[in-house]
Amino acid sequence: MGDFFNALGDIATNESAYRNAIIAAVVLMLAASGELVAEKAGTINISLEGMILGGAFAAAIGQHAFGSVWVGLLFAMLAGIVVAWVQANMSHRLPADQFVVGLVLNVLVLGVVGFLASEIEPETNIVGRVRIPLLADIPLFGPALFDQPWVLYLVYPVVPFVWWLVYRTRWGLEVRAVGEDPNAADVSGLHVNKLRRQTIYLAGLTAGLAGGYFLFARAGQFEDSLVGGRGYIAIAAVIFGGWTMKGTVGGCILFGLVGSFVLTIPSLGYESVDPAFLAMAPNVVTILAMAFFATRVRQPSALARPFLRGLK
Amino acid sequence: MTQHDTIAGGDATSPPAIELIGITKRYGAVVACDDVHLAIRPGRIHGILGENGAGKSTLMKVLIGLVIPDAGEVRRHGTAIRINDPVAAAEHGIGMVHQHFSLVEPLTVWENVALGDVGRLDPRRVRARVGEISEQYGLEIDPDDRISDLPAGMRQRVEIIKCLRRDPEVLVFDEPTSVLSPAESEFLFNALRTVVERDGKAVALVSHRLGEVMAATDEITIMRDGRVVESLSTAEADARSLARAMVGREVSLRGDVIQTGSASDHVHRDRTAEVPVLRITDASARGRDGRVLLDRLSVDVHAGEIVGLAGVEGNGQRALGDVLSSLLALDSGRVEVESREIPTGRAGAMARAGVAIVPEDRHHSGCVLDFSVAENMFIADPERVARRGLMDRGEMARRAEALIDRFDISCAGPDAPMWSLSGGNQQRVVMARELSHDPRVLVAAQPTRGLDVGAIEYLSEQLRAAARGGVGILLISTELEEILDLSDRIVVIANGHIVGEMINADVDLERIGMLMTGAAAESGVPS
Repeated sequence: MGDFFNALGDIATNESAYRNAIIAAVVLMLAASGELVAEKAGTINISLEGMILGGAFAAAIGQHAFGSVWVGLLFAMLAGIVVAWVQANMSHRLPADQFVVGLVLNVLVLGVVGFLASEIEPETNIVGRVRIPLLADIPLFGPALFDQPWVLYLVYPVVPFVWWLVYRTRWGLEVRAVGEDPNAADVSGLHVNKLRRQTIYLAGLTAGLAGGYFLFARAGQFEDSLVGGRGYIAIAAVIFGGWTMKGTVGGCILFGLVGSFVLTIPSLGYESVDPAFLAMAPNVVTILAMAFFATRVRQPSALARPFLRGLK
Repeated sequence: MTQHDTIAGGDATSPPAIELIGITKRYGAVVACDDVHLAIRPGRIHGILGENGAGKSTLMKVLIGLVIPDAGEVRRHGTAIRINDPVAAAEHGIGMVHQHFSLVEPLTVWENVALGDVGRLDPRRVRARVGEISEQYGLEIDPDDRISDLPAGMRQRVEIIKCLRRDPEVLVFDEPTSVLSPAESEFLFNALRTVVERDGKAVALVSHRLGEVMAATDEITIMRDGRVVESLSTAEADARSLARAMVGREVSLRGDVIQTGSASDHVHRDRTAEVPVLRITDASARGRDGRVLLDRLSVDVHAGEIVGLAGVEGNGQRALGDVLSSLLALDSGRVEVESREIPTGRAGAMARAGVAIVPEDRHHSGCVLDFSVAENMFIADPERVARRGLMDRGEMARRAEALIDRFDISCAGPDAPMWSLSGGNQQRVVMARELSHDPRVLVAAQPTRGLDVGAIEYLSEQLRAAARGGVGILLISTELEEILDLSDRIVVIANGHIVGEMINADVDLERIGMLMTGAAAESGVPS
């Protein structure tokens, strides 16, 4: 264990540890930004995991078939929206229980892409790094933020755009109203379930993009274990962040940092630290962070409550 | 022959802005509205008076498109119109000021006002419009205040502004004073007068409170059992005949007691020397969001005494009820039952100590609608009808029958599902359960809310009988009439603190009003 704490010191000054942390945090941020909007409107969108996985697979197919990363990313977003379409209509039109729908979707997506991937075996590759001059020269953080595979830079416009949607547009105001008090929103003339469905489509879009990004920035090759619970961690980040964009991004960075540091330890020569312990550590940190810092006080009041017109 | 033909008075001849003709709405076998005619005229305040369940609210919901009638039509300036949803109603110049559920609490005033509009969101313009309206009608408010920080009176201003921003021709107010203090109500009616006289708007004011309808309206329509029983101008109305029309028989007005001030049936015994059955000392509690729920609240209830807790809704009554049902733990202070301290917030502790509770919302926490009458009677203490962990269904049915008899509950039997009972009978089941435990203390929170006059009389009598039998009763109510009618002693709550106390024999209405409002004034409402 002494090794472990020595290693932490080394890592804190290691550039590639930060680079890995940001790569890991960005997949969470992309997915969590859309999830934040869905939760603001009142849905805990468990199928986020499936959306990311579907996105990653579709991205692989897109690049495999058309040889273009852009087509891959487009496919990724479409795949996310397909999963979102099922989730949205099952839980905010029928309405089935959103958690059951989400869990079943995650299992279903895993089965479908696992099968298709073994049939098609798409061939893909990591995209190249693009160095942004001057900014990348900032010590320690510069390379992590500005010398990365170019798909990572998508996060810079996407997250602020989603924030702007929620807090600066009429649509965003309606979304927040619907998540806090659907009855009041209904009486004011808003279409509660339609708005909720729209937010899930947005979550599908950003989560699909997250999957495509992760394939091209980190994995290179599609595997069905590629997402590995990051969807759930992104949901945790939204809760950890107290349903604010700032907090959510903070949570993503924290969880990304922990995951990356743990991965970096062996490469720094600390072989004696048990790999099983390292694999577990990010999840332990997530749970501890949730236990100590997450508070449910500021959650949208109607979170996870279905809205049926005319019923109280 | 239509009812409104008979209306007399000032400009009662002016053509109505909105006319309801032959509106009928059925829910299964229940007729909520039966061939109702109503004319709402510009420049007039039209009171729609009736008891709970008389069909007033259904009628107003027809007007704003939340209920589609089975028969009849709505005319605007003589032309038939269709109103299928609130948006259509707004297009036809009809706006409703909702009492309970149209503001989103975590949003600010201007954000709430903007909800339901279309087009690009322009905060500056919405804020300016809020300022404009609030100046025009004297409804002072800061557009950037958060709704959750505002007291009821201010929230209602936001509702009114939200309604006025679309410049409606007809404004509908549904029980607007139910959460207001007397001073806030006065303010509201003054604002309404401005709206009506200056802009010639028409106002429909729905209420079950006779006094305020008499004071604030120009015309009155009285509804009973879904029908219009009388339409007249306010000038020629008198309280007693209105009450008779409303209820359908001669009633003793609770208001009589208030007006004459002679509550002679409440013979006050000085009990200060006796040990109270319930003593709450310096109780303080905060909500999870840090809001103060109770603030050093102290109150005693003696055996055989009814203590009425008066106050404007949302001043800590619910928290106090929660403490006494072991749902909420105190941050400081103590609760004693018969001189024994009872730990707060520990499930079942209060009930075991002999505190019975008739909760504020019987559907939410008073009973389980899908359970049978018998199951509801023994749900809190199934031990009494169980042997070695198994329910003795025969014993349960026998005891339930006895309670049904004793409390005169009208139902198909012990196995009848709770939802098949009327509200009054559901409340009797709750009362039967709580009183059958031989409690030392009975906490009755809004025990008659939503019930008809017959049920109210019955339940009031039950409370009196329980008190005569030596139970100490804490009556929590926002209906001042109810408090004055039943209580031996009255305490006034404001902001989670007891701000005043008096015995019923020398009750001073003005002082109670001041106490209830005095606290409201601190939060920015002029009194």
